[in-house]
Amino acid sequence: MVGMNAAWLLPAIPAGAFALLLLVRNFLPRKGDWVAIGAVTASFVLFFFVLHDLMTRLGPNFHGVSTGFTWLKIDNFVLRVGFFTDPIAIVMLAAVLVVSLMVHVYSTGYMHGDSRYGWFFTVLALFTAAMSTLVLADNLLLLYVAWELVGICSFLLIGFWWERQSAAEAAKKAFVTTRVGDVGLLIGVILLWKKVGTFDIQTVLHAATSGQIGHTYLTVALLFMLLGAMGKSAQFPFHVWLPDAMEGPTPVSALIHAATMVVAGIYLLARMLPAYMVITGLGTLIMVIGMITAIGAAVIACAQTDIKRIIAYSTLSNLGFMFVAMGAHALTGGMFHLLTHAFFKALLFLGAGSVIHAVETQEVGDLGGLWRKMPITMGTFVIACLANAGLPVFSGFFSKDLVLEGVMHGNTPYYVALLAWVFLSGIYTARLFMLTFFGPSRDHHRYEHAHESPPNMTLPLVVLAVLTLLAGWLALDSVGRALGFPGGVGEFVFVHEPEAYRFSFTVAFAATSAGLLGVLATMYLYWGGGPERARRFADYSPDVYALIRNKFYVDELYQAGINYGVLGLSHAVAWFDRYVVNDTGVNGTAQLTGWLGYRLKFLQNGKLPTYALAMIVGVLVMAIVALSMHS
Amino acid sequence: MIPLDQVLVFSGILFALGVYGVLTRRNAIAILMSVELMLTAVNTNFIAFGVFHRPSLAVGLVFAVFVITVAAAEVGLALAIILRIYRQRTTANVDEVDILKW
Repeated sequence: MVGMNAAWLLPAIPAGAFALLLLVRNFLPRKGDWVAIGAVTASFVLFFFVLHDLMTRLGPNFHGVSTGFTWLKIDNFVLRVGFFTDPIAIVMLAAVLVVSLMVHVYSTGYMHGDSRYGWFFTVLALFTAAMSTLVLADNLLLLYVAWELVGICSFLLIGFWWERQSAAEAAKKAFVTTRVGDVGLLIGVILLWKKVGTFDIQTVLHAATSGQIGHTYLTVALLFMLLGAMGKSAQFPFHVWLPDAMEGPTPVSALIHAATMVVAGIYLLARMLPAYMVITGLGTLIMVIGMITAIGAAVIACAQTDIKRIIAYSTLSNLGFMFVAMGAHALTGGMFHLLTHAFFKALLFLGAGSVIHAVETQEVGDLGGLWRKMPITMGTFVIACLANAGLPVFSGFFSKDLVLEGVMHGNTPYYVALLAWVFLSGIYTARLFMLTFFGPSRDHHRYEHAHESPPNMTLPLVVLAVLTLLAGWLALDSVGRALGFPGGVGEFVFVHEPEAYRFSFTVAFAATSAGLLGVLATMYLYWGGGPERARRFADYSPDVYALIRNKFYVDELYQAGINYGVLGLSHAVAWFDRYVVNDTGVNGTAQLTGWLGYRLKFLQNGKLPTYALAMIVGVLVMAIVALSMHS
Repeated sequence: MIPLDQVLVFSGILFALGVYGVLTRRNAIAILMSVELMLTAVNTNFIAFGVFHRPSLAVGLVFAVFVITVAAAEVGLALAIILRIYRQRTTANVDEVDILKW
């Protein structure tokens, strides 16, 4: 029976597809898109066997199953390519494989006719393989390798249309920004390895929790790892790359920059959470970083006009929310939100892609009234929006509630701030929806040409919409048991002890009212006549509006830092190189030698007596020196 | 027998005369003769030290023979060069032969 021992096949199959496509994609019919889709489908089917095996083994003494092979063996040091399957990995894998499969299918429509169609699927296959490896890695080094692989896939896909300069620059920006964090992760991994002597995650965690690693040392190592997580998950102050990453094709935004790769940072924190829980202050730090990102991004999302950027800031905001969950040690809620968010945010992006495909613009100011033209897109989009706003019944509601309950205990200020976050989520989600699908059409030409997308694009939308509607119910114990789990998600994914889902009316009521308030207020602003009422609202304080519209000028701040800091330093170094190293060191030596040679050559005057005199004086001097040294 | 220090004083005077000649003479032939004087002083030294310090071995004498051989060869070469210069420039004055410089 194929079970958890076959977990290594999950990344191996897409990796094989990648290798095949890399070599022969141009000789295959349809540029080999079916190879990539087939591989992901195979992985997806296999996933259920792994899941089934995992469910039969679940119990109080079950931690996970490790498979794999030895990669390197140096004396006693063994480096494995190992795959560790446990509930946390399964939850993340579900998100990765479902969204990946949907995005593959969707891309056959969205990328149709692109000149690099085959290459797109090649990189998607590589990404799926790398992401599955990252999730399943049982040692930190393999995780780091996969971490860099997904990074390079992200780079390749953001810059997929590299003929456009903005896309090439966005790819570069994403790569460089995440690199800062990645170096931190590498340092953290090396520090832990130096102390524990192995890369194996479970051994490292055990060493951390049993006090084998000194607290100061552990804090430093974990802080470096946190840097990696912040870079990948685009937390403040590394958040700047994610909105620019929207230069990539929309399916890529859905897969990599919403559902899977950007949550790798949160996944890393979840994996290492037992170690993070040892150091008390780190949780607070993570919560503060997450809160700044969550609230800041939600505020910015309210004033953006690019449909993909609004969703990108919404993603940032949700990533911050998950960071807060990890900081509060609410692993269950955080991982559950990761799962539901993957579904509804991928759905939002794919829906936006469907709109872009139809009207060929990303400016919400040029959209409006599209619900008549694109009913399926609109229907699925509204489900995703409601889930994003966290309204009851939809999946976002359950996961958000779980996190809020986790945060509430002992973190009242954060809880209140998160309620404000829910309110802001309601505002930007409703604004996005109203501007895109309601009101009069603001660009008649585009409106007339708009059409519903083909079935290979709407099918993934419908599947994801169904998942968005249903996934949240997994929080309930009765639903979980009916599906064969020991209970709700709390009985499945936890740190120390399983906890059943306790529905708290106060939390649900407070959060729902906050979200609903945001949605209704925004619907009032945009109802009927388009954005005029909202514009008047913004005109109350143009300065504040400009501040938000320009994303708090963080990009400009960084640009100034580069202009004055990096370029200033470069100028100083260039000056030093030109005038000190080159003019003085290199040319100066040559000039000195030349000048000395010109002066000294006149000693060679060709007269024999001069030479004879010099010779005799020389001999005399040497004789005197030798004699004086001798005596 | 003449004591060693007297021989050394003699050879020293001979050598100094040679040096004086090399430095003051302008005629190439005279310079060559002065050089021969210096060589003779050195030979005297060799023989004296050989006789006084290693009477059983003929080291000093052998060295002196070598020096004479080399000096003969050198003189042959030097006279040929001086002859060629004289043929070309009708002078053997070293102050006038100074084109081989910077």
